[in-house]
Amino acid sequence: MDKNIKVTYTPRGPISAGITGPFLVTKLMVLELLSAKELVWRLFVRDFKSKYRQSALGVAWAVLMPLVTVGMFIGMNRSGILNIQDVDIPYPLYAIIGLTIWSVFTVGLTACTSALLTAGSMVVKINFPKGALIFAASGQGIVEFFIRSLLIGLAFLYFGITPHWSGLIMGLLCLIPLYLMMIGIGFILSLAAGVLRDIINVLNLMLMAIMLLSPILYPITGDNFLAQANIWNPFNYFINVPRDLIVKGSSSFINEFLLATGLSLLVFYFGWKLFYFAQTKIAERI
Amino acid sequence: MNTAAIKVADVSKKYCRTIKHTMLYGATDILRSFFGLNSRSENLRNGEFWALDNISFNVNPGETLGIIGPNGSGKSTMLKMLNGIFMPDKGGIEINGRVGALIEVGAGFHPLLTGRENIYINGSILGMGKKEIDSKFNEIIRFADIGEFIDAPVKHYSSGMHVRLGFAIAVIAEPDILLVDEVLAVGDINFQMKCFRKIADLKEIGKTIILVTHDMSAIQRHTDRVVLLEKGKAIAEDVPKKIISRYLSAVTGDFNELPAESKNDIVNTAQKGFLQDNLEDDLCFKRTNYNKNEYRFGNGTARIVDFKLMDSEGRETVALKRGNPLLFRVKFKFYSYVQKPVFGVIVKTKKGVELFSNNTLHENTDVPPREKGDVIWVEYRVGLDFPPGEYLISAGVATISSDEVIPLDRRIDLVNLKIAPENNKIGNAHLNTSIRIYCEQNT
Repeated sequence: MDKNIKVTYTPRGPISAGITGPFLVTKLMVLELLSAKELVWRLFVRDFKSKYRQSALGVAWAVLMPLVTVGMFIGMNRSGILNIQDVDIPYPLYAIIGLTIWSVFTVGLTACTSALLTAGSMVVKINFPKGALIFAASGQGIVEFFIRSLLIGLAFLYFGITPHWSGLIMGLLCLIPLYLMMIGIGFILSLAAGVLRDIINVLNLMLMAIMLLSPILYPITGDNFLAQANIWNPFNYFINVPRDLIVKGSSSFINEFLLATGLSLLVFYFGWKLFYFAQTKIAERI
Repeated sequence: MNTAAIKVADVSKKYCRTIKHTMLYGATDILRSFFGLNSRSENLRNGEFWALDNISFNVNPGETLGIIGPNGSGKSTMLKMLNGIFMPDKGGIEINGRVGALIEVGAGFHPLLTGRENIYINGSILGMGKKEIDSKFNEIIRFADIGEFIDAPVKHYSSGMHVRLGFAIAVIAEPDILLVDEVLAVGDINFQMKCFRKIADLKEIGKTIILVTHDMSAIQRHTDRVVLLEKGKAIAEDVPKKIISRYLSAVTGDFNELPAESKNDIVNTAQKGFLQDNLEDDLCFKRTNYNKNEYRFGNGTARIVDFKLMDSEGRETVALKRGNPLLFRVKFKFYSYVQKPVFGVIVKTKKGVELFSNNTLHENTDVPPREKGDVIWVEYRVGLDFPPGEYLISAGVATISSDEVIPLDRRIDLVNLKIAPENNKIGNAHLNTSIRIYCEQNT
């Protein structure tokens, strides 16, 4: 942090000397994030360490959870309770990739939503860029994704299938919009949870609903209402485009994906901006 | 650089009385600022009140400013705004330099992580980079003095250790402006002394300090200027001695329990502002040992008007040899009827450590009621077996009304006393030792 800082606290928020011009708020937001990059890293490491420190299985949980989920779906499919359509690749591989990509969103968003709340007294008593808490929490989604990717690797080996290598890199890059969407929503939900504790329960319910109603663990096609609705579901593209790229190296939904990406950028920017404005006000109310 | 370190200009802050309004207004305010609309924060809405109202003051670089006031006067709100945790609803606060806050230190500690890990996290929360923390790491550990606990999870720390580590990180961060809240009330006396020494060091090297506390002796010793807050308004700003007297008289001058006659007397004397000025019949300040930095409070029903220091033979003296008893005589004048007067004395070191205190209530001394106009002398005989050095003696008179102590006149640090060395006495305490030498066969 700059040693010779001069800042004025006004009803409109803190104004640092020498920063003016158009997009003032955006500039302040970015400067705040840059000055806090080390803090983001420290908080991220803190969350990671404390998450696994008092747990016997530690990181193994990240792998166990999707295994159990996918196992249940395989079981339900085989016993005929569910009737999952055929996919191009073995179903377990399809499901594991889908669930792993989805975990970027669920794990990250859950961590972001409770970030302000768990920071508790710190938010009220110390002046620091609160956004750092959210950015740090969002990292949990990425960590979880990479740990679970081990499963994807093992599944590819087991079924003797090779991923599409250049598609793999493209597929990883295509996770960025999902990640930004998650932070954007995380900013808003963390504020909401700071005021209303119910949000955390609502969130779990919503995540479950989105997972079951979107083509994540199974394809949803045909002439039914759900399939029609999924045309407008950005998660459809955020999950399936990377999955297609990793497996086949191409996807037929690139335009829809770009549209969804635009949406995620907007959500990210406005969520962050809302949080930036709210951070001094939320300290009085948390 | 002659710009102020802190410029507080016409600052107001409002709070809500009910949670419902808090939530509702919070949401509207956030949305208004999100859409770039004027926040209209300068107007009160239904259910809101001004927690701070139109406060202005400047703090120059290197100055130490005290903020005092009764509970709920807005001190903590002011401090949180200076720290940038809340924004004002009116006016502006200009801050020049890096701010460090000792407001509930250690708030960011994670209980599962070790002290060592928490130093890095807390350091970066306070705006330090890794290199800076690395270079100050040993200094922090030395100051916190928590031994091998540094590698234990913070949840196993005692509250004192928690505060020590938090304080160490915050002060070693070397902010240009240090905001100090009631933190020093925690921790043992040694650590408190260490903290105040550190604050004095920071002051020495030109750091700006804001001190918020109920500890008037800390205000007296450390601040250059004091702002007195009451019900959200800054009602006075002056040198510590004057503000402290005014504040203490206000908070302790609860005389509702007294008979009507003495109430009038008190109102009269209070209007004259007797506690701030030296009265004509006050001879204390003419004494050699009078400490001009004393501060006093009380409702003024009785007053200390003179004192004498004497050795055991009754000769007046200004200094004593170690181990010789001191006769400390204090003259009291009663300005109204007092049914149960209590007379007391306190001896402190120059640094404010209380060594001894006693009063007529503890001693079960029979003290008859006093009439208006009475003048009496109270003599304390104290065996001052303390190491050579300078000491401060406070004297006071109070009264008991329905189990509550009501100070009438307390003159804190009224007397300076020097104790000279005595050859055969070494060390901090004299334990009535005798030494015997004998041969084995004699036993």
